Amino acid sequence: MDVDLMVEVTPLLIRAAWVTIDISSRAIFFGFFVACGLVFLQTFRFAPIRWFARGYISVIRGTPYFVQLLLVFYGGPSIGLRLDPITCGVFVGAFNIGAYMSEAIRGSIESVDSGQSEAARSLGFGKVQTMVSIVLPQAASLMIRSVGVLAIVLVKNSSLVSIISVVELTYQAQRLIGSTYKPLEIFTLSALMYIVIIYAVMGIIELAYRRAIRYTTQ
Amino acid sequence: MEFDFSPVVTYFPTLLKGVGVASLVALAVALMSIIGGLVVAVISIYTNKVVSWPLRFFIWLFMTTPLLLQLYFLYFGLGEWILIPAIVVGILGLGFHYMAYNADIFIATIKSVSDGQYEASRSLGFGHWKTIYYIIVPQALIRSIPQLGNNMILMVKDTSVLSAIGVAELVYASQYAISVSFRPFEFFIVIAIMYYVINILMELGQAWLERQTAYRR
Repeated sequence: MDVDLMVEVTPLLIRAAWVTIDISSRAIFFGFFVACGLVFLQTFRFAPIRWFARGYISVIRGTPYFVQLLLVFYGGPSIGLRLDPITCGVFVGAFNIGAYMSEAIRGSIESVDSGQSEAARSLGFGKVQTMVSIVLPQAASLMIRSVGVLAIVLVKNSSLVSIISVVELTYQAQRLIGSTYKPLEIFTLSALMYIVIIYAVMGIIELAYRRAIRYTTQ
Repeated sequence: MEFDFSPVVTYFPTLLKGVGVASLVALAVALMSIIGGLVVAVISIYTNKVVSWPLRFFIWLFMTTPLLLQLYFLYFGLGEWILIPAIVVGILGLGFHYMAYNADIFIATIKSVSDGQYEASRSLGFGHWKTIYYIIVPQALIRSIPQLGNNMILMVKDTSVLSAIGVAELVYASQYAISVSFRPFEFFIVIAIMYYVINILMELGQAWLERQTAYRR
């Protein structure tokens, strides 16, 4: 192990790690809204809207994230969609993870016993009110865990953005390995940074979970 | 905005060759990750801590770092010692990655087989390893099918990432055609469709396999 080299490249890798955190957090944020939109579309009575949402989810989950990224970044300009690499990474990441998250959200809402919403409706709660004050608080704990797992997947997937030349952690690591020929040192450092990021996300999920579990009946 | 799919038609044989390479890689990785994952799981459950802790460390390491980073490490790391073709690095990299994910599943399913099975088998005269081989592992394997299927579907999609280290699979095969035809959108759409079709076929296969083995779970 070349410790001097490791000390030397650490600031570079930390700066790149911030880009990873930046891209991932923005993609998770927007992805959550995409997911909520998809869940909402699936509740429409007009069937083609539901089909659109189902089809979108199926196509996104059925094709590689990597190919989606290349399609939007390199193929986008020919349909008039010009994005800079970072925006493209956030955009594709959000629309990708949104499809997965919508399934997780739908699953957690469906896991709440239907008797709960029936009881609420018969007590005079409106549809929206039933959803907001009865179903969602009970679905929250499961939703946080399953959406959280996807947030971790997204952090790992964000490494693929290096292909469209965003200088994030994996890109920087690859460039440093290429220029120093010290794969072990660079890998150890960058892996450590990913592990720190992922454990931070896990910590946030755990905190949110503890807070949400108050509403679940024992 | 006008589309021209004629270069895709011209270079279709190249794309098909890419599908061939991707399938070959996927098959090799599936074999390596399932068999390897099972071996790793059995060893890490049934041996002492000196052996099992390093294995669990590697499972954890492969699961908490991105695939692409692992691929770069393997590509440059192995490249320092020996000259091996990219496709071998790709199979090894993807293989180790999914070996960790599969081992994680196998560890859970092996533990889910009740202790009574082990005790009954031992009392009938089977040895320790024979019990594991004939009694525990087959039951665990059947229980692992749903999650294993999910992993393999993810794995097939991840073969596209191997183009980053120069494995001549679908995406990589299209690079030259794209650079001479300037039609990235058309090519990537066709590639996406190909992956989608393969994915749907795999999902149908998985559903069939789950139905076939449901009564044993």
